[in-house]
Amino acid sequence: MSLTDILMQQLVNGLVLGSFYALVALGYTMIFGVIKLLNFAHGDVYMVGGFVGFGVLSAVGGTLGADWGGIAVAMFLSMIAMGCLGVVIERVAYHPMLAAPRLSILITALAVSLVLQNSVLTLTDGQITAFRTDLGFGGLEIGHVFITYNQMVLVGTAALLMIALETFVSRTQYGRAMRAVSIDKDMCRLMGIDVAKVIAITFFIGSALAAAAGTMAGAYYGSIWYFMGFLIGLKAFTAAVIGGIGSIPGAMAGGLILGLLEAFGTQIPGIGSEWKDVFSFSILILVLVFKPTGLFGKSETERM
Amino acid sequence: MRITRRTLALTAFAGAALGGLSLASLPAAAQDSITIGVQVPTTGPEATYGNDMFNAVKIAAQEINEKGGLLGRQIELTAGDSACDPQQAVNAASKLASQDVVGVVGGYCSGATLPTLKIYGDANIPFVITASNSTKLIPANPGNAFMINSTGADQTTKAVEFMESKGIESVAIVNQGDAYSQDLANLTRDAWEQAGKKVAAFETVNKGEQDYSALVTKIKAADPDAVFWTAYYADGGLLIRQLRQGGYRGTIAVGDGSNSPKLFEIAGRAAEGVYAFSNPTAEFLPKAKSFSETYKKQFGNAPGPYAPLTYDGMMLLAWAIEKAGTTDHGPIIEALASADGQEWLSGPISFTDENTLARSNFIVLEGKGGEWALAE
Repeated sequence: MSLTDILMQQLVNGLVLGSFYALVALGYTMIFGVIKLLNFAHGDVYMVGGFVGFGVLSAVGGTLGADWGGIAVAMFLSMIAMGCLGVVIERVAYHPMLAAPRLSILITALAVSLVLQNSVLTLTDGQITAFRTDLGFGGLEIGHVFITYNQMVLVGTAALLMIALETFVSRTQYGRAMRAVSIDKDMCRLMGIDVAKVIAITFFIGSALAAAAGTMAGAYYGSIWYFMGFLIGLKAFTAAVIGGIGSIPGAMAGGLILGLLEAFGTQIPGIGSEWKDVFSFSILILVLVFKPTGLFGKSETERM
Repeated sequence: MRITRRTLALTAFAGAALGGLSLASLPAAAQDSITIGVQVPTTGPEATYGNDMFNAVKIAAQEINEKGGLLGRQIELTAGDSACDPQQAVNAASKLASQDVVGVVGGYCSGATLPTLKIYGDANIPFVITASNSTKLIPANPGNAFMINSTGADQTTKAVEFMESKGIESVAIVNQGDAYSQDLANLTRDAWEQAGKKVAAFETVNKGEQDYSALVTKIKAADPDAVFWTAYYADGGLLIRQLRQGGYRGTIAVGDGSNSPKLFEIAGRAAEGVYAFSNPTAEFLPKAKSFSETYKKQFGNAPGPYAPLTYDGMMLLAWAIEKAGTTDHGPIIEALASADGQEWLSGPISFTDENTLARSNFIVLEGKGGEWALAE
């Protein structure tokens, strides 16, 4: 492989990885937008989404086949289930805390994360669950660059979900309401917007996107376990910060940028793949120090 | 942050689980029973192996108890969950040491076993290590521990010999930075270079990562004849799958930590033709036939790779206790050291001056039709 081939291949790798980061980062950023909360349970919603997707696929895989058709159904049902879970989490754990100091709700989010993680740990004895699918390994070879069909479906689905979200937020009434709530909740209430409902919808969509990512990751990589949401949760948070937390296009761009940085970072001579995470989180620190508003963020006075 | 949260979660869970276990076993504990500690990961990513090893000890203890026990006393087992995590293992070992165990059997994940050696050493508790085989354990052994699995050095010899016989010239070695996989990777790199061959890439990946695509591209660019994964099956399955998915067509070999049926569940078809260096598993041990049947009847599945060795570990310890004629630690340790080649399920056991198994037990397996078959 020539250097160009290697870089092109890493570009593909980075796009696939970045799609996962972006889908999870979107939830972070949307939730931060409406209630100014860093929802540290979001990575665990991704993980539970993977398990629900696995459960559905095990149930319907026999009749629908465990290829992308079956996975699409599993993903859709997992998205709805996790959307509902997101709404429940918000109602039970965050809603009563909205008026409390920021730190209290942040700690609540950590608690929710531990509750989700330990529930799955107990149910699965902490073992790895193999996510069996019938996905083939075929793909297109362009020059020396190999792109599998799975990767295309994955990036395509992620792109579709992101376009749908962007349309929802910019074109619909609820999308407008969501943007308004993220600017000024009190003013929204005065204007007759049902703020609680908008927050619930935001949690539904954010959690559903995480569930989509969780199910696709499980199917694509082939295994799921209770701790899989932790690292991606932190990475997605990093992606959201790079893009500017609170900004939806920022989360998409941030996810892709982080994915690409990691892929190319692995290739730097003399730096082994063990430095990958050091690389990602150094970027988080650099962004926080030099441009805390990220690429697309607007500066605000109150930050947490 | 990463370690703290995880450990916190595991500790809380394991604490609760173990608390329940020891409480439940209290009424059954006759005053003069012999307590044996079992240190294995019963939670966490390697729990499949751990539970398997625990089951093997249960069968051994049951057989001994049915025959009237040891020195006329029944064996009582107490579990310590190491979770394949050094911090967690230290907690488990301290707990076992404080329970006045006569001996400890188990030890899986060298990284987790390593820090427990000092704890058992300080209490002078005989410790039969039935799986962990990193050479890093050898200098850390205060003399009370006995390794009945062949060491990483033996595995390296086997791996180099096998890959040379396959005409492999260059190899990419991937480990996970823990005591077991790093030891095996370093030993293999040195031996391979000494044999005049090329190490095309030497990589360390982070545990718990899902995406290895960037690494796969790097490996493909280095174009080695073989890739040798020295860590465990859970992440090994992911890497093998992504190597094949990424179009790598060379030989893939894995160490004994990846010899698991689960590797096939995770990697799917990609695991076909993968070679594994392993201690002999039950199906390749003629003497283990009745053990396998008992195991299947009692637990519903075939015994895993370390079950026969762990059964042997319990039996060896029982033999040493009988020979010593006492439950005092010193004489039992002396008796263990005197093991001179009696036949057990996994073959004869005798020890070197360093308390390691005096022979290499490694065989080569190949993935065929979703399970391991003998390669040679």
